[in-house]
Amino acid sequence: MDSVVQHQVMRAAGIEAGYGRVQVLWGAGLDVKAKESVVLLGANGAGKTTLLKVIVGLLPAWKGSVQLDPDDVTTWRTDKRVRRGMAYMSEIGVFPGLSIDENLRVGGQFIERSALRIRMEELYAYFPDLAHRRGALAGSLSGGQRKMLGMAKALASSPRLLVMDEPSAGLSPLFVGQVIEVLGKFRESGLAMLIAEQNIAFLDLADRVFTLEGGRIRFEGSVAQLEADDSLHKAYFGLA
Amino acid sequence: MLTGAIVAGVVFGLYYTLVGLGLNLVFGVMRIVNLAHGDFLMLGGISAWFLFTSFGLNPFVSVGLVVVVFLLVGLPIYYLVVPRLLRSRDSEMLSLILFFGISQMIEAVTTIGLGATERSLPPRLLGVGPMVILGTRLPKAWIFSAAASAIAVLLVYLYLYRTRLGTLTRAVMVSRDEALATGIDVNFVSAVAFGISLALAGVAGVFAPFILGSITPNMGVAINITAFAVIVVGTLGNPLGTLLGGIIYGVSLMLMQTYLSSWANLLPNLLLIAVLLIRPEGILGRKTRRA
Amino acid sequence: MHKRNRIILDAGIATAVVALMGIMRGVYSNELMLFNFIMFLTLSQGLNIIYGFTGYLPFGYVGFYGAGAYGFSLVVMHLHVPAMVGMVAAGAAALVLGVILLPLLRLSGAYFAIASMAAAQAVYEIVANPDLESITKGPYGVSLSDVFAPATSYYVALAILAGTLLLVVWLRNSRFGMSLQAIRDDSVSAAMAGVSVVRGRTIAWLLSALIAGLVGGVFAWHISVFYPDTAFDLSVSIFSTVFLLFGGATTLSGPLLGVFILYGIYNIIGIAVPQYFQFTYGALIVLLVLFLPNGLVSLLTNRGIRVP
Repeated sequence: MDSVVQHQVMRAAGIEAGYGRVQVLWGAGLDVKAKESVVLLGANGAGKTTLLKVIVGLLPAWKGSVQLDPDDVTTWRTDKRVRRGMAYMSEIGVFPGLSIDENLRVGGQFIERSALRIRMEELYAYFPDLAHRRGALAGSLSGGQRKMLGMAKALASSPRLLVMDEPSAGLSPLFVGQVIEVLGKFRESGLAMLIAEQNIAFLDLADRVFTLEGGRIRFEGSVAQLEADDSLHKAYFGLA
Repeated sequence: MLTGAIVAGVVFGLYYTLVGLGLNLVFGVMRIVNLAHGDFLMLGGISAWFLFTSFGLNPFVSVGLVVVVFLLVGLPIYYLVVPRLLRSRDSEMLSLILFFGISQMIEAVTTIGLGATERSLPPRLLGVGPMVILGTRLPKAWIFSAAASAIAVLLVYLYLYRTRLGTLTRAVMVSRDEALATGIDVNFVSAVAFGISLALAGVAGVFAPFILGSITPNMGVAINITAFAVIVVGTLGNPLGTLLGGIIYGVSLMLMQTYLSSWANLLPNLLLIAVLLIRPEGILGRKTRRA
Repeated sequence: MHKRNRIILDAGIATAVVALMGIMRGVYSNELMLFNFIMFLTLSQGLNIIYGFTGYLPFGYVGFYGAGAYGFSLVVMHLHVPAMVGMVAAGAAALVLGVILLPLLRLSGAYFAIASMAAAQAVYEIVANPDLESITKGPYGVSLSDVFAPATSYYVALAILAGTLLLVVWLRNSRFGMSLQAIRDDSVSAAMAGVSVVRGRTIAWLLSALIAGLVGGVFAWHISVFYPDTAFDLSVSIFSTVFLLFGGATTLSGPLLGVFILYGIYNIIGIAVPQYFQFTYGALIVLLVLFLPNGLVSLLTNRGIRVP
């Protein structure tokens, strides 16, 4: 087997999709390799969320395919993709009406009971703030803590690939820094990540960057290559 | 007389909790209104009547059968109509119309098959003679119907708060979108909730002859208004609130029957309208619903 | 099509229906059946005004009909006034009930539907209460043999139908009707565009109530002996709703088609065992909601064809 294919966790190719009759994606594609963290950069309305939804199975692809190594999962429902090692953290990310403990158990619903207990303790070690308040409702947490819980919930199923939609949404810069720090730890542990963002602070985490514009991938490469490209540099880093 | 009305009201309230609980569970999980709920209750009562008159089965035995059959019937009904319904533009409103149609079908089939006559079961099946609670003499049939209701409510509580599937069910209640994004098999969770809801209606039906007096094919509409009053009072979409709604309803009904008996039938209607207008979010609810 | 031509087409259809129902009385001997046709033609259009133009579906629509029937009966029985005064009372009774129930319009879809059903039940419980026998005759029903006039009441019913159809034609072609539809589709933007949401809904609601009340009044007049169970029979709501949904709300011809097709079939086969029709109607509602939620006319409107 080709070594590139072997190391690939997920590959979306030629995706066309949209809502009703409105097409949003026009042949977008990207891939994530094992232990790699990929940042999908794009402005509001570029189609980031739509692409992520197609990747995790919340929206059907009109055209194109999604591979979750080694399966073609294009037509699979989300729950089946989650069973096979994909986890998705939406912008909201938690169930406000459930306790912290319950959120984690829902996230790890497919794991066997005793394994889940161990997994939850691991996660509580990562997120000590949550460990103190296991019985508290997620809705009572601050914005930053909710993001932490959202990550913990998504990680409860011990996924191979964590897909995140704008983890910085609604957070103050201080909390954004904390989120990046935590994600950095998970990156070191070898978790493959796909992060859709418009906040360039997340580029610190990126092994590779894709940029999405008008439903098409405009750029693929390293952070250094992105910075070297004049027009992209202007678009994403501003004039500074 | 006041104590008597309140004691009887609590006993009836437990039963009315059971009447509303299934409707509220379906609303909470799917945001649809099963307007055929009262007709499934009627079918539960007909089943108990049939099982007794044909095979001499005691209602306490029939209730087990009814639970299993109604639960299993609920799953295909769910898959046939609900997923398609939920994809439509205004599923809450359309659900009302659709289940209204199902309600009409059930009522018609029952009337064609069995005629429109009232059917009842002898109260002695649930025990002979009265029982005294706080100085109030109540028929054993009432007490045991209330006890069975309380057990059913408790089991639903244990399901929702002590089992894995129950936790997933509450997750879907909190947010269907987030549940989908988390990879919950929302359709399966909802189908089971729908089945449980029908089973609860069936159980309430089995005891209906003892609490309501009789079963008729066209009782569904009145039951629906009652059930809706109970769950609106007790907060829509909150299964535990149903208990509060049921007790408030039961006690008000008994007070009406004690002091203003000929107007007691007005109660569910007026209570429903009043709560919807004054406190549409229900007694326990926060202001979350558009109204 | 030009607006003028649209209005002419709409008005032509309305005139044809009224003329048909007038001529039929001379041709066909079953007057009661024709009268029932007129009633449902009118009621389904009355429901069209509130549901088709504002999106509110009152399951308890029969409440206004019953209020009209009893408004008529009470003044005729107790004050011995002529039937036409009774008709005024019928309309007034329905309007009063409509005003009392105005707060229900604060509720959204399903809650409104159920609350209106509860309201109709409540009115029924009051009217049919044995304690009020001296006033309403309670559950024992009323008899109005003094004013019995099948021919006159038939033509009055026809006049109410004509008025209702004209009202719908006007709504479909007027600024007011357009603004109502704007409210239905998006009340927030409509409000921002300067449409008075509350006023529009209130007018549609009261017009709809008035129509059902007049139909209830003329029903009492024509039939002259009836029970509260008949005047508040939920099937009146059910039938009108099914006819409306089957044909297609907001149009003029949809509800007309619904009544002629479904109530026609009902009369040809159904009277002997009403439950077969109850079943068929139930099944039809289910299928309509699942497969044709905008009614028969949507087969054309979905293809961009305007339906009168």
